[in-house]
Amino acid sequence: MRDRRYLRHADLRLTDLEGEGVVLHLRSRRYFSVNATGLTILEALKQPRTFDELVAAVLGEYDVSTDVASETTRAFLDHCLATAVVEEVP
Amino acid sequence: MLHRMSAIPSVTSNDSALEAAVVDWLLASRMVLPPDFRIRLSVVDAVGSWEDNREVFLQGDVAIQAGDPAGWVHLNWRTAPARARIEAQQPEALVEVSREAVAKLDYFLRSFVLVTLIFIWKRAGHYHVHAASAIDSRGRGWMLIGASCSGKSTTTALLASRGWQVSTDDIAFLTSREDRAAVVGFRSPIALRPGGMELIGPAGGTQLESRLKTGYWPEELGATWVQTVEPDILVFTALGGERTMLTPMAAADVLAELLQWSLWVMFEPMAAQEHLDLLARLARQARCYRATLAPDLFAAPGALEDFLP
Repeated sequence: MRDRRYLRHADLRLTDLEGEGVVLHLRSRRYFSVNATGLTILEALKQPRTFDELVAAVLGEYDVSTDVASETTRAFLDHCLATAVVEEVP
Repeated sequence: MLHRMSAIPSVTSNDSALEAAVVDWLLASRMVLPPDFRIRLSVVDAVGSWEDNREVFLQGDVAIQAGDPAGWVHLNWRTAPARARIEAQQPEALVEVSREAVAKLDYFLRSFVLVTLIFIWKRAGHYHVHAASAIDSRGRGWMLIGASCSGKSTTTALLASRGWQVSTDDIAFLTSREDRAAVVGFRSPIALRPGGMELIGPAGGTQLESRLKTGYWPEELGATWVQTVEPDILVFTALGGERTMLTPMAAADVLAELLQWSLWVMFEPMAAQEHLDLLARLARQARCYRATLAPDLFAAPGALEDFLP
């Protein structure tokens, strides 16, 4: 389970603006905003990452406990997988 | 047989009148054409259709197919038969035009040829935004952004009559100027509907019959024309109410709004990041407001600039 690797969709473009992120999904021609933590996770997912690597990326940016970082990362990752913004890769 | 030497040799056509009209329109726009720019317009008896399985996106009356995997852009005009193919990387277009389309020349230029050029300029780092732009008496750059009928042109005409430097009331191209975002205006007449003319009250103008509007060059309204504006103030316009109101906006909301009015960002992956970053830069560098424009704007001597010291 923890060996699974994730990658953001190639059609995604993101930019940061005053601590928030704006994400374009070119294929669906939709855009949405994410908070700073979501932006950190999506930036990390430019390359394939495991869940633990994503949690480490969040811990590297924010002064939070491992439990909080894990919960936040899990919730955001699940949402991204459900909306096809992120996919599981071999 | 002698041929007139074209002022823009990279515009060619088998119909000399069409070629001259496109050249004159481009020269009047004062837009700088990209190096290696080339557009060939062939007037044909029957306009063909593209074999293209990509999703069709309708922008006004232009059907667009763009992006991966082909890379090139295909356009079809819905008003009269015409189609264009824009090369994937190069600022080059091949356009096939029916006689029926040529007969609607003014609208053909402003609708179909303009969209073709929007993709061509995109290849040179100029990204279209549906906006007006101007510089006030204090040297501050303004962008007015919003839908048709949201007051952009009427307000631009008002600002022109107050001596602002005006760039465009409708067709702006966002580009990078050192570390700032700038907008380059496509010079064309400020187009007023009858209601706008009543508010501004200018004499003269030129009938734009295909658009049911009257056009005024900025100079006819007392303004000077300026090509490039570095926006310090962004105003997203709408009409309504009895008093003009401006409300500050959060940066993320600004970017979401900008995306709506520069939708070309969605079409081609190759330039999407640069385009998005430029929109974000614009949102960072400017003070941004949502405005409802009301008739009191036209009675107040200070007009719009007094709202923002």
